[in-house]
Amino acid sequence: MPPAELAEGYRRLPVVRAEAVGAYTLLVLRNDGGPVGSPGQFFMLRSVPEPAAAYLPRALSAAWADEREIAFLLDVRGPGTGSLVTAGEVELLGPLGTGFDLRPGASLLVGGGIGAAILPWLVRLLDPAPRVVLGFRSERHAVCAALVDPEATVVLDPVVVTEPLARLMPFAGTVYACGPDPMLHAVAALCAEHDVPCQLAMEAAMACGFGACYGCAVRIDGEWKRLCVEGPVLAAERVMAGA
Amino acid sequence: MPDLRTAFCGIELDVPLVNGSGTLDALVSGTLGLGAFVTKTVTLHPREGNPPQRIAETPAGMVNSIGLANPGLDRFCEDHLPRLTELGVPLVVSVGGWSREEYAVAVARVAAHPGVAAIELNVSCPNVDTGCISIGTDGAETRALLERCREETDLPLLAKLSPSVADVSAIALAAAAGGAAGLVLVNTVRGMAIDRTTLRPLLGGGGGGLSGPAIKPVALHAVYHASRATGLPVIGMGGVASGQDCLEFLAAGASVIGLGTALFRDPSLPARVTAELDSLLADRGLPAVGDCVRLAHQPLSKPSPQLEGMER
Repeated sequence: MPPAELAEGYRRLPVVRAEAVGAYTLLVLRNDGGPVGSPGQFFMLRSVPEPAAAYLPRALSAAWADEREIAFLLDVRGPGTGSLVTAGEVELLGPLGTGFDLRPGASLLVGGGIGAAILPWLVRLLDPAPRVVLGFRSERHAVCAALVDPEATVVLDPVVVTEPLARLMPFAGTVYACGPDPMLHAVAALCAEHDVPCQLAMEAAMACGFGACYGCAVRIDGEWKRLCVEGPVLAAERVMAGA
Repeated sequence: MPDLRTAFCGIELDVPLVNGSGTLDALVSGTLGLGAFVTKTVTLHPREGNPPQRIAETPAGMVNSIGLANPGLDRFCEDHLPRLTELGVPLVVSVGGWSREEYAVAVARVAAHPGVAAIELNVSCPNVDTGCISIGTDGAETRALLERCREETDLPLLAKLSPSVADVSAIALAAAAGGAAGLVLVNTVRGMAIDRTTLRPLLGGGGGGLSGPAIKPVALHAVYHASRATGLPVIGMGGVASGQDCLEFLAAGASVIGLGTALFRDPSLPARVTAELDSLLADRGLPAVGDCVRLAHQPLSKPSPQLEGMER
């Protein structure tokens, strides 16, 4: 985000709807025509009024976004995410960070758990339509697969996404993945083994989202670096370096 | 319109607001309307910082354990410093170390670079095992450090102090005796977060530093007493999130206010606080920021309107 826009701070958007999607919650905001960036970038969000029990905003990447609406799929875990899905209005900063680098040719999307939340937007933008592989811990969590792609291959715990993924290797295209760190590392290793280009959308606790707090340290290029500045989407080689 | 310009240790600031060291990367986000920029603490050698998790939310604040992550003196001076001196606001470089000599080397290198307005000696980082705060919790060490660094430069040296000491006035007096031109306080308060599930320390570094509105009373107390004991100019910080907070820190003895944790939540904070401060000073008929400084050290000369009619 350019410094001049950042200095203007958060903008306030009304909540259009918040509805359960299995174990997760879909939060849809009415956009005021403001910038939405691209898939994999992220926003900092907080409810209006702010919850007393959550001092910091929450970093979330959109499920999809355009000039009319911005949607987030949330795993409600505590007072911060809880207040977002019951709010009438939400304050939002962004888009922040670097999103997916959409490559020409075939694509394969891999999502684990709430990592699936950011894939619907990618599915809408990628042409030709991507293959999608998703893994969840239960049927309830897997309900959101329909938002990503009704044709997606879905596996449930204890089956891991790398099982169906391995059968698609070597994939002649780009792999885009989002999910828990162990899943991302396994996907990156599999792609490296078959020399398939791979991009990982990672997650870290963030206080600010714009490089100020140094809280979101992730192993990148073999060092602890700020995910909000370097990512949150990274070429898999950068994450695997020295791992 | 009240005059918000402030002179601090000979540095002219358009507004009396700076960031706390380590709470803003101006090379990423710009200076957001602050009157001067304070760098993240730089040390002789590069430091990756502590492993995650590095931050934990707490009631009215957060605990951090970043661990002085920085590129080291060489890369800082070659790559960062030339760009930082072009930000368009006065630049304060914060340095840290594990010995007097490490600080002295850093001070000499930084001072040799044109465009540095002052140097902050961070003797209060709670997130490293040795050095730094072990100097800043010892009056004699603090004084000796200031004296040693004083030999390396004529630039104003500012001592960044911790509130996690028995007597902040004693440390402040030691810094003053060693040649500090000003004080910066407070750094974070030592704290800890326990993971609610595992019941183990949540932060990768074990303990951490508490910041945010939770520490404002602690910070006001430290600013008040350090200012009173030394008479030195003070950059006051700790939980500042509004123009009213600024007034209170000015009254306690600060002449410049530091923003930190609240900046994480709101990059428009400097602009909002500036507007609030402007209007609060006008409401009180105070023509300039300086007229509010150290007011808490003086008795009320006449009953304030709020006190009139109250039984005393």
